[in-house]
Amino acid sequence: MSSGTIAGVTAPAFTPTAATLETAIAFLAQHPGHGGAVDAATRREALARYEALPAPGARPSRGWKYDYANLPFEDLSWTSDRRSVATSPFAAAAPPDASGADHPALQTASAGGLVHLGATLLHLRPAQHDMPEAASRRDARVVILPLADAAGAAEPALMRALDTIVDWRGDKFTALATAFQNCGAFVYVPDGVQLDEPIQLVFAGAPDDEAVFPHVVVVVGNGARATVLERHVGAGDPFVCGIVEAHVGEGAQLDYAVVQQAGEAARLMFTRGARCDRDGQVRWHLAELGGALARTVLAARLDAPGGRAEASALFFNTGTQHVDLLSGVDHTVGPTTSDTVVRSAATDRGQGRYVGNIVIRPKAHGSDASLRDDALLLSKRAHIDSIPALEIAANDVKAFHGATVGSLDEDALFYAGTRGIARAEALRLITLGFFEPVIARFPSEALRDEVRSALDRKLDDATELGA
Amino acid sequence: MTSTETAPTETALAATHAPVTDYPVDDAVLDIRDLHVVPLAEPGREILAGIDLTVRKGEVHAIMGRNGSGKTTLAYALMGHPGYRVTHGEVIWKGLDILKLSPDKRARLGLFLAFQYPTAIPGLSVASFLRTALNARRRGLADGDGEIDPSDMTRGGIKMGEFRTLIRETMALLKLDDAFAARYVNEGFSGGEKKRLEMLQMAMLKPEFAILDETDSGLDIDALQSVGNSVNALRHSDEGKDIGFLVITHYPRILKHVPADLVHIMIDGRIVKSGGPELADEIERDGYDAVRDEVAATSV
Repeated sequence: MSSGTIAGVTAPAFTPTAATLETAIAFLAQHPGHGGAVDAATRREALARYEALPAPGARPSRGWKYDYANLPFEDLSWTSDRRSVATSPFAAAAPPDASGADHPALQTASAGGLVHLGATLLHLRPAQHDMPEAASRRDARVVILPLADAAGAAEPALMRALDTIVDWRGDKFTALATAFQNCGAFVYVPDGVQLDEPIQLVFAGAPDDEAVFPHVVVVVGNGARATVLERHVGAGDPFVCGIVEAHVGEGAQLDYAVVQQAGEAARLMFTRGARCDRDGQVRWHLAELGGALARTVLAARLDAPGGRAEASALFFNTGTQHVDLLSGVDHTVGPTTSDTVVRSAATDRGQGRYVGNIVIRPKAHGSDASLRDDALLLSKRAHIDSIPALEIAANDVKAFHGATVGSLDEDALFYAGTRGIARAEALRLITLGFFEPVIARFPSEALRDEVRSALDRKLDDATELGA
Repeated sequence: MTSTETAPTETALAATHAPVTDYPVDDAVLDIRDLHVVPLAEPGREILAGIDLTVRKGEVHAIMGRNGSGKTTLAYALMGHPGYRVTHGEVIWKGLDILKLSPDKRARLGLFLAFQYPTAIPGLSVASFLRTALNARRRGLADGDGEIDPSDMTRGGIKMGEFRTLIRETMALLKLDDAFAARYVNEGFSGGEKKRLEMLQMAMLKPEFAILDETDSGLDIDALQSVGNSVNALRHSDEGKDIGFLVITHYPRILKHVPADLVHIMIDGRIVKSGGPELADEIERDGYDAVRDEVAATSV
């Protein structure tokens, strides 16, 4: 059994049971400022909800080895700590033993952000940027806080958004995340503030395997613009089950990018949701690259005219990786627009599923939705299911969806071959090109190159290519 | 009908049967000997039924024939398309039987095929594709330990600046817009753009033997002129004067822009008649049926 120490107390082994929860609640009662933004009663309610709800779906396909109803929770510990909150630059403050916390990514965070090692908050760096016009207004400060602190201070922007975007009662794993919430972040970009540098939220796998339950709330004020980069790195093999809520104000823009490069035995279950006010735009960018199992829900609700949601996601499963990706856009009013692009590939015994839903409700006249997903299978034992669905209840809308599942284009390999490009190199170029429509939408060239390099390394590591 | 034994009798010039050792190894002569090819999916159906052809350096040979006569199969077989199997024969180039080599190795030995229907590679820019190809071409047959490693800038691959200059100059020559280099290979290209990309690749890779497969098909007269100019510019350059060309075509019109030294008529997977440029005019005047009838009448 794995264990850690929280404030001098041995961290309990984690199981999704009342016994673990009561230990956690007792600990949090004695340690204000830890945990997150959930009170004890809600935690108990959430655990009851977790127990009552069915597991999401059966196994998606033949060969899928995980059963959501019977996920093993062995050798995990639950902890909540803020051992060494540093406000200095990340690189300088990174302790030498913190696996993952010296990730080069941390050295590039110039706008600010926070770093968790497991559930332990390691570093916090406030945003530093020039806001000459807004500097005199107290409400114009960019806020990056541990969720517990923001909730403790009852930050008004947090209170307006918290638990209003993702309904934790609706899904077994969001209920679990709420019951055991042990870390999180609140990011607030005030009205009119335009951030050029991304705010980074880094979740590094703890050396001792931990059960980590983050809750992130991002609020982008009216007319503001921000990029948030959520990274998962590190050597540990945690179970991470979290919620991200993003509220995009009127005319505001949020790019929210997730680059998941967790340890190879990590399991990650995330539900991320956004709501856009009038003319607000959210752009989800998701690269699922690491871990053994990743289940991700990406959702956007457009309930004010002019709202727009883009979702661009990719995964590339090698070895025995499993990724289960579900995206949903809910057009509740019109005119609103959405554009979803998913590229997935699998080789070796990788398994994947993509479920894409677009709902255009009766009042969403004049809306425009597009959903496109393509899957590439690079070995005989790899499998990807693709299930796009459109539900349209309004007239006068434009909706498109298309899906393909295919193997490598032998004609393209031959064509490249006739130019002197050897098969392995051609395969690499063609596969990287396959992901490019999703990569091209990531919000910076540095990030695009990082994703390309990560995919390239995965191609190097894959044992079967083009079988 | 002619048989493989009798077919080449009057095409002595084109189908010289010389043993491979007669040529210096570095001499650019492509020698096709009794080539028989079947599609992998249908091994009982012989598409090429014994092709003999020799193209010496600097020569332009035209292969003319109707759709289905085996012209494109010949091009594919020469480059090693995985959908075809050579059941008999050999193709000697630079002293090697290239049928034993993978397509990329044939290309690195200087062979080039301009496709009739070039393949799209979505997400891969023309510039990246060409740079990778150019490095492979420069590396030749050396494996990873060679002096040039295309995946490694520090190991002799073409420098970015040098490459940019080269591609910009070559595109200007072909009257291609700068933005062309950033587009994805053949994705969303018009027919004419695809053919011009083939010409751009040919001009940059500087092959020693080039097969043009129906490069004229689907082109308007301006585009055809531009293709002709590309080929002729290459042929008249110092480094291109020794290039052998195999121009595969259905219609004689491309031969007005790229004059052939020798013309071969292909029917049912065999070269049934060879001659000078006047043979193309004959086809234009009398059609393929006349040649077929004539061959049938003269065969034993």
